[in-house]
Amino acid sequence: MRVTIGIFIIGVALFASGARLAGHHAFSSEYDENKVVTLKGTVTKIEWMNPHAKFFIDVVNPDKSVTSWEFELASPNSLTREGWDRHTLTVGDALTVSGFAAKSGKNMASTRSVTTADGKALFGGTQGVQ
Amino acid sequence: MNRLLLVAVSALTVVIVAGTVAAQDGRGGGRGRGNAPRVALDGPVPRFPDGTVDLGGAWTGGGPVQDMEVQGKFKPGEIPLLPAARKLMESRTPEDDPHAYCMPMGVPRQAGNYPWRFVQYPTHRKATHIFVLWEGNIHSFRQIFMDAMHPADPDPTWFGHSVGKWEGDTLVIDTVGFNDKFWFDRRGHPHTEQLHTIERWTRKDFGHLDNQVTIDDPGAYSRPFTTTYTATLQPGEEIMEYICNENNDYGVAGGFR
Repeated sequence: MRVTIGIFIIGVALFASGARLAGHHAFSSEYDENKVVTLKGTVTKIEWMNPHAKFFIDVVNPDKSVTSWEFELASPNSLTREGWDRHTLTVGDALTVSGFAAKSGKNMASTRSVTTADGKALFGGTQGVQ
Repeated sequence: MNRLLLVAVSALTVVIVAGTVAAQDGRGGGRGRGNAPRVALDGPVPRFPDGTVDLGGAWTGGGPVQDMEVQGKFKPGEIPLLPAARKLMESRTPEDDPHAYCMPMGVPRQAGNYPWRFVQYPTHRKATHIFVLWEGNIHSFRQIFMDAMHPADPDPTWFGHSVGKWEGDTLVIDTVGFNDKFWFDRRGHPHTEQLHTIERWTRKDFGHLDNQVTIDDPGAYSRPFTTTYTATLQPGEEIMEYICNENNDYGVAGGFR
């Protein structure tokens, strides 16, 4: 399986409503709604837990080194209502993921959307905040 | 023989119909709104045999979430904050919201898209208690003591001490004894332990439940003020488990104060 990396930093205007996507916690304390990352990678782990599910992907860099990224999702309940279940992503899946990058600079992001290898698009955030 | 067959077919029909209804109601462990049955939200208000309004169903909304001023349709600055309360609110940022630490939301805040229920207990005679069960709001519950009195000096708590009574078809909930720790909304509208809320819940039709809430807190606001929020029924929806503390990034580990 061939994976490539592409990172795009996109301006604020498109995603001004980003905070709306936050789950129960303070999105703005952790993630930068002005900094969107889009990555292609392979799923290595899924954590289906509260208050936010998460998954990890390995991204192959141009120099063939591998970087692990953590993508936070909405709560399992919100995801279920969006049509997800705990088997929606499985280890080994090739994905394109877009999310709001962590302010900390760590390889973490709050998921905005997920596109599976067969082109299926999934929404990763909640519809509203608590 | 034919009669036996008829009985068997009838029994099977009952089982199938019951199963279908259960599936439509989501009682088999509802999988979200995709399975919602077709229900007329503007249909008649359901009632118990004695005529009492049945507040049952999974609701969302009915209180402020992000901003009490905006969602309560107040004009900017119309909420009569006292200077100290305004200063406190202006010092707050969403990062400090107690709910971000998996703490309760108090009254009258509601938990976004996470459904909640009124449970009238018991149902076979006049309810002595009404409970609110929340999926969100840290999966907590609140109890309303029907036709009861407040204690003289209640200990301050997150949900206070609530007494309820029916005025016609409106459930009136009077609550005192709040602590000052929760926020009315993510914006940080504050209150003090002097807070007294009066909620008037009216099921307008099958699918809409008005909450006219009066906030009276002379420690934070110069006068009582009232607004109405409307909860919407989510047909087929069920409360799912939501344990906020499971892997909270702040929460207990972060040491809420």
